Order: sequence, then structure tokens, then C-alpha cells
Amino acid sequence: MSKIVAIKRFTLVGKLSLFFIVLLLFIGIFAPCLSSYTHNTPSGESLEAPSRDHLLGTDDLGIDLLSQIFYGARLSLIIGFSTSILAGLGGAILGVLSGYYGGLTDKIIMRLTDIMIALPDLPMMILLGAFFGPSIKNIVLVLVLFSWTGPARIIRSKVISIKKEAYIVMAKSYDASFYHLLKTHFLPEIMPILAITTIKITSRAIVAEAGLSFLGLGDPTSKSWGLILNHAINFKGIYFTEYWKWWVIAPLFSMMMLILSISYVSRDLEKVLNEKL
Amino acid sequence: MEMPLLCIKDLKVEYKQNGEAISGVDGVSLSINKGESLGIIGESGSGKTSLAMAIMGLINKPNEVSGSLVFDGNDINTLDKKQLSRLRWKRIAIVFQNSLDILNPLLTIQEQIYEVLIRHCDFSKEQINKRIMDLLLKVGLTLDTARCFPHELSGGMRQRVLIAMALSCEPELLIVDEPTSSLDSLSKNEIIKLLSELYIENNFALLIISHELDTVLKLTSKVCVMYSGTIVERGSTSEVIVDPMHVYTKGLLKSSPAINPFGDMWGIPNERSRVGKLGCPFENRCTQSIEICKTKKPKLNYILPNREVSCHRGGIVTILRGTALSKSYKSKSRTIEACINCNIEIKSGEIVALIGESGSGKTTLASILSGILKSDQGEVLFEEVPVRGNNFTSRQEGVQMVLQDPFSAINEKLSVGEAISEPVKIMTKQSSDLLKADVQRVLKEVQLPSEDAFLNRKCYSLSGGQRQRVSLARSLMVKPKLLIADEISSMLDPSTQANILRLLKKLQNEKGFSMLYITHDLAVARKIADRVYVMAQGKIVEEGIASKVFLNPDHEYTRKLVGETENWYVLNNKG
Amino acid sequence: MMFDCFKKFFEYSIIFFFILTLNFFIPRLMPGDPFTFLSSDEGGVHQSYSEEQIEMYKAYYGMDKPLQVQYSDYFKNLIRGNLGYSIYYNDNVLRLILRSAKWTLGITLISLLISTIMGTILGSLSAWYRNSIVDRGLYPVMILLSEIPAFLMAILLLFTLAAKSSLFPLSGGITVFGEYETWFDKLLDVLHHGFLPSLSLTLSQLGGFYLLARNSMITVISKDYMRTALAKGLSSKRIILRHGLRNSILPIITRVFMSLGSVLGGAILVENVFNYPGLGRLMREAVTVRDYVLIQGIFLVVAFLVLAMNLLADVLYKKIDPRVG
Repeated sequence: MSKIVAIKRFTLVGKLSLFFIVLLLFIGIFAPCLSSYTHNTPSGESLEAPSRDHLLGTDDLGIDLLSQIFYGARLSLIIGFSTSILAGLGGAILGVLSGYYGGLTDKIIMRLTDIMIALPDLPMMILLGAFFGPSIKNIVLVLVLFSWTGPARIIRSKVISIKKEAYIVMAKSYDASFYHLLKTHFLPEIMPILAITTIKITSRAIVAEAGLSFLGLGDPTSKSWGLILNHAINFKGIYFTEYWKWWVIAPLFSMMMLILSISYVSRDLEKVLNEKL
Repeated sequence: MEMPLLCIKDLKVEYKQNGEAISGVDGVSLSINKGESLGIIGESGSGKTSLAMAIMGLINKPNEVSGSLVFDGNDINTLDKKQLSRLRWKRIAIVFQNSLDILNPLLTIQEQIYEVLIRHCDFSKEQINKRIMDLLLKVGLTLDTARCFPHELSGGMRQRVLIAMALSCEPELLIVDEPTSSLDSLSKNEIIKLLSELYIENNFALLIISHELDTVLKLTSKVCVMYSGTIVERGSTSEVIVDPMHVYTKGLLKSSPAINPFGDMWGIPNERSRVGKLGCPFENRCTQSIEICKTKKPKLNYILPNREVSCHRGGIVTILRGTALSKSYKSKSRTIEACINCNIEIKSGEIVALIGESGSGKTTLASILSGILKSDQGEVLFEEVPVRGNNFTSRQEGVQMVLQDPFSAINEKLSVGEAISEPVKIMTKQSSDLLKADVQRVLKEVQLPSEDAFLNRKCYSLSGGQRQRVSLARSLMVKPKLLIADEISSMLDPSTQANILRLLKKLQNEKGFSMLYITHDLAVARKIADRVYVMAQGKIVEEGIASKVFLNPDHEYTRKLVGETENWYVLNNKG
Repeated sequence: MMFDCFKKFFEYSIIFFFILTLNFFIPRLMPGDPFTFLSSDEGGVHQSYSEEQIEMYKAYYGMDKPLQVQYSDYFKNLIRGNLGYSIYYNDNVLRLILRSAKWTLGITLISLLISTIMGTILGSLSAWYRNSIVDRGLYPVMILLSEIPAFLMAILLLFTLAAKSSLFPLSGGITVFGEYETWFDKLLDVLHHGFLPSLSLTLSQLGGFYLLARNSMITVISKDYMRTALAKGLSSKRIILRHGLRNSILPIITRVFMSLGSVLGGAILVENVFNYPGLGRLMREAVTVRDYVLIQGIFLVVAFLVLAMNLLADVLYKKIDPRVG
């Protein structure tokens, strides 16, 4: 109920962005039913310009671009959401443990986040990607490895600040269990922050995957938007012909739209939640 | 006549927020002469800081300042940026309310004082450095403070730095905003001492803004009391604090432990209303408001040669005044002079204790005041109308008495309900059914059960304490403006006595009626009274503010009374 | 102060040591025999190595020796500055890296510098004249910029500015076989080639710095000491610079150093869009041919640079903010 109210208070851009993300989710889920062509076998002449048959044209192998974009959406969203859910959950758990128990647990976890934050993420991802081989599973794992620190730090500091509140001290004096404190006091405070950081991770993960794919480290068996771009840019003569107008622009704009939508939604969400607090 | 240094006329400050205008200062006029000291007292949100900001020209768009703010011939409100920045600090300086962020955290104290001197004064570098050192020494800081960053200073030291900085260009007007509020009592006294020394030495005009009455009392000669953006009372500081004439000022004094060390603390009832509303801003919290207060805003008017109050009723109303009252009883052989030329005054919302030993004539005086007894000489006025017989005890919103002996004051054959509704029934001829709700209300107020079962109980089954409450409830039924309580607790055991006294004080604070409390017990009087009359052998031998009388009695008799209580106190605490 | 710096240095040394160890173990943790994988054509990479080359790899990694010996050899090599030998390029890895690094550092530092200065100025102006037309115009544009990743920006610029209008060269860091009359002509050519890569990086950083500067300045403006400064009747210039900017710039300075990692990450991708001859392109080539030694070398150098910058940021912050340390 309160969530619906929150959405109502979004700005127009925020509402449009949310609509776009929902639309993309829909496309991602029903990708096979939506496109009349396959995304991995040729269905026309190579490098056809957009037409009634191929709304976004075809690539060098004659594969329909629109169905590639649809499938790419699915891939981007899978990678984005699985990374953010894993990293958000893992980061939140570590953050709560670190903030609540303090001491050695806290020291170890914080040292780990220090290291992860100091590490240059893209070169590290390239290194891991090159050694462990490109697959969606590996990409998600690497992205999670680099994303959990954000939520962990934010939630740790939140937990520490809540811990100092008098109501926690009181609850502890009534012999409240950790589970009770978590459920009634910590989680309601943590959830909004976690939601916002998690959304931000989604966007970062999608960009990072596109970057890796663009460098040739994407999963070659599933064509993400980054991989389409990679193919297009590496096509000899892409600069001197008109092909880029559909082959490059389509994945480029899809990705930008998604990134911007996520960002606007998270901005609005942040604003609405802050007003509430 | 000399022109005042700063003359403010009808100043209004409005804050614009999300299209809404919120009034901060609502029509303030005041002036400060050269070298004069003025205090502004008020709760937080009363607009006193807004006033200071307006004087400094620091209220920015979209917020609005209207009215005139003339400083030495220039209207601050019309000056442009350049002229303003030349006026600021050079001629008017301010010591802001102390906070961690009040000084730039990245600059040393030296740099922060330096930048004003280089801007406003025509000094060479050496002169400036010397001046900084002088200033630091003057405010009691060591020279190495100059090289410190703000975060390295304690709250008291920072306050001194702020003062040194404000004095750097020798301003003609120094505004000090809450100089002592964030300090511990030791540094507080030091800062007050420092400010008064500097004031005497430098001859600037001083404007002290504070909610701490003792600070204002020690530093200023005149004071304005602000409430909801308006000045409600103005006068000489020492007089205002000893004898407030606005209901708000009085409430403020009662809430201040520093000014009112003996009595209980009582906050002012109700919440503050919005600034800038129609009518008197204090109306909803005032204990003596009348119809006009709701619709018309009062103006600040003189009620004494040196006291102004903004109140339609001319400040705190004197509700009862007895002048030159004498009464003697003649028996066969001799004449007993029970009252000799007694003068007594009770103001609205005030608790006055009449203290005296048995036989001192206090009960006689009380009877005269209530109209039960006729005096031989003199006159009693209730709201300026002479008291004759039962003309005020027989009406609503008049005078009511609660007597010493709860057993004889109530007919014990009556039920509780009957006993309590009796006076109203007599006055208004209403039936019991109609009055039931009122009876239940007053029973709740005196903290007795209000169920039917209790209403139907006969009074003889009640304890002394309960009967005294019933008797109090009976008086409250007619909404008295003055309650005369004659030794009402003396026949009760200590615990019941404490409960009744607390109840009485609470009711008085909520309802705002005035009370004349007659007692022989000094300790009780000290607990509840604002003002005290001491009676001995038919004469009033001493009168005054409770704290003053108890701390510093003039009359020998009072001294003896106070002394006895003190001894008793000491003995008990040793045991 | 000195002690604090040393402590920070020590902390970062530990982190770096940890990274070095990680770097040591990664090839040894690879699933299966790395060298059969190395020579297979999995993942669409068609690169096979001769027996001889695989032997060289094995020799470099020292796979035949016990682990602790490998570990100590690894550090001995590092101390000597030996990052290994690239089989594909037939050259010393460190030399290869140094050759490319100047290009990368060039565009990275220039764009960092420009985006910081521009972002700070625009952000502060926006904050100072909050809700003015300038602010209302800049703010949404900058939010947009702050979200678009550098390499997407680069592709956009490539096709709109270089491919169509040929205003700028499509690829490379300098004209191939170019001959220059003076060093100035050469510089111009280099700048011409570096313009678009730098522009993409600058634009992608600008939004972030603008938002940070704006936020920071808005916070500072609401601080009590700004009111004090105003009340002191100081000149506007002094109030804005000495009291406003001096405080608001603190978080920006740390951010500049801290963001080197992400800018380098951006540069790696952007270079590949423009075929710019820096570390990014070298890394991609190394990835394509699975030249593991080279990939690891580049990773170490970049990690070292980033850590050094973070250390510098920490030390510098202590220097400029009297409240810390």
C-alpha cells in the first residue's frame, strides 16, 4: 500500500522511467514470444536497413537486430538483478553482523571492504574474466565480488547509529534477542536504504557487463547489448557506412535508456523515502 | 533630546517557505541609545534571533523585512550591499549563538580576526597583530589561542573568541545572541562577568538576546519580553523580573529555576499559537483573556511611568484589593483589634500566602475580604467593584472559600453529588440532571472517582482528605476567579496534605484563578506562594515576593518565623 | 602527523601485498590445466601456442617447483621489476606497459583535471545561485551526464563527431608515419587525436564532480560560519572564496584522487572505442590472445597507481583539513 503511494509521488520522469523498466522486464521475460525472428540465426540479408520486415535492420550475419535487443534485455536484466540481489543480500548480512557485533568481525569485514574499494574494479574484472573464462555465472560472481561493499558499509553505519538509540538499549534491557531487534528495529530502518543501494548496484552491474562484453569478455553464447556493440564496432568499415545508424544506435540507446531509467527511479525513490523519514 | 543609536519602528520579518509566509517578527518597535544596555527575553521561536538578524541586515530574499531600522540616521533595510558591509562589524557587531560551526573550521583564530581588521580598520600589519593579541588578552585568552583552529577550543573559549572578534573594530552597538546558553555554570558566570566588564570599559550599546533570565538580569538595565514576534512587556530589568506585569512574563519567571529557586516550577499552559494570528498572540494561554483579546491585537502601552505592557487589560489585573481594613471585636472588658489598617492586593493568576500565627487576625482579614465579615473601616474591591456581603461569593466567576475543617464545611448527610452541585443549584436554579456532567468534570479535576456509585455516596463515609477534595470541587463548580483557602491542609495527615497542595497548585496553574492561601505554616507557604503577606497582632508586618521574603526578611517577626523553620530543617536533616 | 602518514602507508602496503598475493594465486587456481586452456580456442579466441611457448609459460610460472618456492620467486621477480615476458609481443612486459601507460595517463589526467575544475566552478555557481535559470538548466543535464558511462559516451561521440564529419581522427594516438616540422605540430596532432577520448572521459566525470561541488557548496552555505562571514562585512569575493569554496572543496579534492580507479577503468574501455594506443588497448589485445602474463602485469601496474593515489588522497586530506589527524 505504502509502496503505491510512494510511486504516486514520483516525478513525471521517474514514473516514465519506472514504466520503461517494467516494459523491459516484460520484454525480457517474453522475449521468445515477442519477436518473430530468432536472435541467433540469420533471418534476412546481411546488414539490411530498418524496414517493415526487420524493424531495426539486421547485422552482418543477417540476424534480426530487434530480437537481439529483446534477448539482450533479458540478459542485462538477469545480470543486473542477480548481481544486485546477491550483493545486496550478502552486503546487508555482512553489514548487520559487522555493525551489530563490532570487534573482530567488524575489523575483518571492514578491512575487506577497504581492499575491495581500493582495488581498481574493471582491470580486476578483466583479469578474473580472462582467467576463469567468460560465462554469465562467472560475470555475475565477479560483479557481486565488487558490489557487496557498498551496501555493507552503508548498512553497517546505519546499524551502528541505530544501536546507540535509547530504544535499543531499552529493548536489550528487556532481554530482547538479536532476532527480535533485527525484526522490529533494524530491518524497517535498513530496508529503504538497502533498496536504494541495491537499485544502484543493478545499474552498475549492467554497465560493467556491457564493458566486459565490449572487451570480448562477455559470455559468447548469449548475446548481450555489450556484445552486439562489440561486434558492431569491430566490423571493418562501420565508420564509413550507414550501418552504424541501426547496428550501433539500437543497443547504445537501449542501454542508455535503461541506465537512465534506473537512475531516475532510484533518485525519486530516495527522495520519497527521505521525505517520509 | 539625543537621537537614539538604533531606532526600530514597526519591524516585521516574514519568512517565505514553499509559497507560505511565516512571520518571525510581527511589528516590533524599540530603540537603543548610545551606551545603553537592553535585554530581549523570550522562549525559542519568539522571534528574538530574527530581530538580531534583521538589525545586522542578514535576512535575505525571498524572506522579507519591512518597517524601519534606523541606525545612526541610516535605514539598514534600504542600504545596498556595499553600504551594509561597511556598517557591519565596524559599527554593529554581533556575537552569534555559540555553535561548533560558528567559526570557519579551516582558518585559525588569528586569520578570522585578521580579516575583519584588515577590511574595516586602517591598520598596518603590525598594528593588526598587536590588536589581535590585545583583544585575546582582554577576553581572558592566552596568546597562543591565535594559532589554534576552532575545533581545538572549548565552548567557553570559543565564546571568548567570538566576543574578541566582535569587539575587534570597536563597534558602537554590540548584539549578543544567547551568550551563555551552551555553557556550564562556571563558564557562564565568567562570560557574564567578562561581558559586563567589557561593557563598562568600552561604552558600547549592548543588546543581549537570551532566554536565560538571570543572564539578562545581570547584564542589562532595560528589558523587552518577546512573545510570538511581538514585545509584550518592557521596562527596567530589575523591576520587570521582580514584579512582572504581563501574564506571559510572569509565567516565564515561574518556569525559570534561576529566578524562582524555591517554588515549584510550572510551565505556561498550552502550546504557543502561530505567530501573526489575529488578536493577542498570547490569548490562548492567558489566564485573564476577555472577548476583545480574540479579535484585536493589543498595543504596547505605558501602565506605569517606566513600564509598558501590551495587554488589553493593562497587564496583570488586580483582582482583589483591600485598603485600610480595620476590624475590632468589643467584649465586655476590652477591645480586641483583630485587623489594624491592613492593605492587601491579589493579582490575577497569583497565589498569595497570608502567613500568621493563630490569633494574628488572618482569618478575620480573610473573612472581610470574602465579604462574610464587614469591616469597621476601609474598603474591599473585587475587579474594582466594592465587596458587600455575599455579592461575589454568590455568583459564578466570583470569590469562593474553602474552609479549614472539611468535616463541618460539608453536610455529611448529603450525597457527594448533592454537596457539590449545591452552590450552582442555588445560583442558577438548574436541576441536578443538567449539572451531572459538570459535577463529574470537577470530580475528575480534584482526582476523585466520578462514577454514579461515588456520586451517590453519603459524605459521612468519606475520609478527611476526600471531604476536603469534595469541598474544593464544590468551589470549582462555580468557576471562581479568586479562591480563598483557609488552612485547608492543616487538619490532614502529611501525605494527604501534600496531595491536596499539589492538586491545588496544579488546578491553579491550569485554570489560572487567583488564590489567597491562609496558613500558619511557613514551609507550606514557601512551597506554593508567589507573594507573601505576614501578619502579626492584627497588622501586616511584611509583604513581598516569596523568594525575597524567605531569603531576606525585613521584619523581625518574619525573621523569627523563617529562622524557626530553618532550624527545624537543619535538625531534621541531621537526624 | 608523520606517524599518521606512516600508518596510512603501512595500511596501503598491506592492501597491496594482499593484491600481489591474489595475483599470484589466480593463475594457479584456474580450473583444469591452464595451459591446455591457454591453447584451446574456447570462447571464440583462436589462438594456439606452440609447445615451445607453453614451456616458456611453465618456466615463468615455475609450475614444476613447490608452491612456497614459486611464491618467493614471484616476489623476488617483482622486486627486481620483472613483470615477466610477453610471448605474443616477444617483449618485456614492463617495457610494453610503460610504452602504453603514457598515453593512458595523458588522457586520464587531462580529463580528470578539466572535469574537476569545470565541475567545481559550475557546481559552486549552481549552488550559489540556487534555483536560478543557470542552476535549473545545468542540474538535469549534469545528472544525465553523471549517469552515462564513459564508453557509451565515447561511442556516441565517435559516430556523431568523428565518423560523420571527420572533424577528428577515428583512431590512434598520433598520425601513423606522420612527419612534423616542429615539436609543436606534433603536439597539436597528439592533442587532435586525444581530444575525443579525453572529451568522453571528461564528460562522464563532469556530472559527478558538478553534483558533488553543488551539494558541498549548498551544505557550506547553510553553515553558521558563512553567516558569521557575512555579518563581519567582508567582501563578497572573500566570503565566496575564503569561507565558501575553501570549505566546499575539501570533499572534491579527495574525490579527485579516489576516482582515479574509475577513470582508468573508463579509459580502458574508451581507448578501445577510439583504438587509442594506451593500456586499455594493450589489455584488450592481451585478452584476445590470452597473454596472461601481460594481463597480470597491467593489472598490477594499474592497482599500484590507484593505491598510490588513494594513499595520496588520505595524506593530503590530513594536510588540508585541520580537524583530521
